[in-house]
Amino acid sequence: MKTILTVIKKEFTDTLRDKKTLFSAIILPALAMPLLLLGVTKLQQNLMDKEQAKQLKVALIDAPENLVSQFNDTTFLLVNNISQAGIKDSISNGSLDAVITFNPDFLEQISKLSSGGLKLYYKSTNLLVEKRIREKLDSYKAVIMDSRIKQLKISSETLEPLAISKIDIASPKEQIGKTIGGFIPYIFIIFCFMGCMYPALDLITGEKERGTIETLLTVPASRFKILIGKTITIALIGTSAALMTIAGMFVGLKFIDGIPPDFLTAINDILGLKFILMLFAMLIPLSVFFAGLLSAIVVRASSFKEAQSYVTPMTFLVIIPAMIALMPGVELNWQTVWIPILNIALATKEIIAGTIQYAHYLVVVGSLILLAILAVYLSLKQFSKETMVLK
Amino acid sequence: MIQVENITKQYTLSKKQRKELQTSSNSVSAVNNVSFICKPGSVFSLLGPNGAGKTTTLRMISTILTPSTGDIKVNDKSVVDSPQEVRKEIGFLTGSTNLYDRLTPGEIVKYFADLHNMDASIFKERKELLFEQLGINEFAKKRIGQLSTGMKQKVSIARSMIHDPSVVIFDEPTSGLDVITANSIIDLIRQCKKEGKTVIFSSHIMSEVDLLCDDLAIIAKGNLIFNDSMEAFRKQSEGKSLTEAFIDIVNQNN
Repeated sequence: MKTILTVIKKEFTDTLRDKKTLFSAIILPALAMPLLLLGVTKLQQNLMDKEQAKQLKVALIDAPENLVSQFNDTTFLLVNNISQAGIKDSISNGSLDAVITFNPDFLEQISKLSSGGLKLYYKSTNLLVEKRIREKLDSYKAVIMDSRIKQLKISSETLEPLAISKIDIASPKEQIGKTIGGFIPYIFIIFCFMGCMYPALDLITGEKERGTIETLLTVPASRFKILIGKTITIALIGTSAALMTIAGMFVGLKFIDGIPPDFLTAINDILGLKFILMLFAMLIPLSVFFAGLLSAIVVRASSFKEAQSYVTPMTFLVIIPAMIALMPGVELNWQTVWIPILNIALATKEIIAGTIQYAHYLVVVGSLILLAILAVYLSLKQFSKETMVLK
Repeated sequence: MIQVENITKQYTLSKKQRKELQTSSNSVSAVNNVSFICKPGSVFSLLGPNGAGKTTTLRMISTILTPSTGDIKVNDKSVVDSPQEVRKEIGFLTGSTNLYDRLTPGEIVKYFADLHNMDASIFKERKELLFEQLGINEFAKKRIGQLSTGMKQKVSIARSMIHDPSVVIFDEPTSGLDVITANSIIDLIRQCKKEGKTVIFSSHIMSEVDLLCDDLAIIAKGNLIFNDSMEAFRKQSEGKSLTEAFIDIVNQNN
């Protein structure tokens, strides 16, 4: 045990002085989510504000007078003299944002209490154009509806036979779990893998490339203990990268404007001791699994560059199952519980939502522990081969 | 004492390697049936051209590699049966400094002392002695990456000698070093001999061999082609320089 601790202590000191590892395992995971969340929401808000304030150039062809008056404000500029043939070109080249053409019998149909036909030309790629035009048309529609209700002498309820009262029994926790719940494991699994990747390259391939492994193998410590010390260091750095990601995400959420108080309360509720312990129980074997697997692969490489070419394709093997967990309808069940990475992503979603079945959870943790043991065994087999450890 | 007894080291060749070496054989011998003895208080030199099998032999003595056949006894402990015990007896130093760039000399030496399970007070005493002797104190707190090659080699020496090994293995210890640093290695080898340690070193530089060596062995293509005392080698060279005599022996056995 003393040897393992000696190796861990040395590897930690060495690794934490490596700026590249420090950045990828601690700084980037901690900052990635707050920056992403704040950046995206700010950017989105700015874009929306800009689009909302932008004056839309609209042409109304054969429009009724009382509809034209709806567009008489500074946020719209009405353009006249547009021919039917030039509508699409005008929108494509940006000289107009939208065109509404009304059927010649539009007013006649309206007066007959029928539907008046109109066509709305716009580009769906231009944000908010359709929404803003629809708002104007809805106001016009409301005026017509009001006049019809009066004309027919009926109450508004006659046209609205269903009075629906929505009662959502999903708790805020469940809502978070089912909405952003899939995103949390996706991010922390990737950062956990990345957190393991750089130390694995440095502590295994780097040692080979520098030739330091040769002198290390002449000390009276077994290869098993040296490898275990290195694997634990790699796994701990991977775990801290994942934890930094989660912590960064929750801290980031607290600084975003406009998040409902219920949502924030639910987030605080999620961050309880139970969630942390359950997450740790999955995260530690996952990190050991990544550390063992990466060590077994990078020990085959004789240079950092070669090792990088081995581990890059592995990133996809990690991302794909984590992405599947983001898909709607993919749930933790007796089939998905056995699929590595997908199972931890789905289990995290369920834990956040508070709907985890403990039998499923135990299988996830058990299978992760089994995989971690297998990965370490595989790396030990590789590490024991003379041709693997020496350049 | 090192007793090398009929050791062979064979490597299995992959299909690609067989093609590169233009051979149909599934394996290749890096060292073939080699035996010699290195005595305590003397310096034994292992000579040979590049790729002769010197480093493979030294790696087998230092337990980095396991012999395919035969055995090596280091102070009567077998590298095959009890490599852990052998590792307690040996210190291993190569010409390439092989250190951790982000650690300080003090941290590196402490790491290796801990791996050797050294008692704290013995470590302190030994470290002070070595750092004083080698002049490491003036840069003991700097990281290895900031040191010159000569400084690094001094740290390598301290790391290899911290546990006071009775057997010291030097694999081309002066290759690529400047004269001053190379001289400090030569002084170290002399010191080891004086302290009664068993010293084995491989080298290309015949002047170093002439200066230090008591006994020597020459390996070519994995086979032992000379194994005797330095005195006997000098006699055999018949007035030629040691380098010429070495080349003659290697060529005769080609």
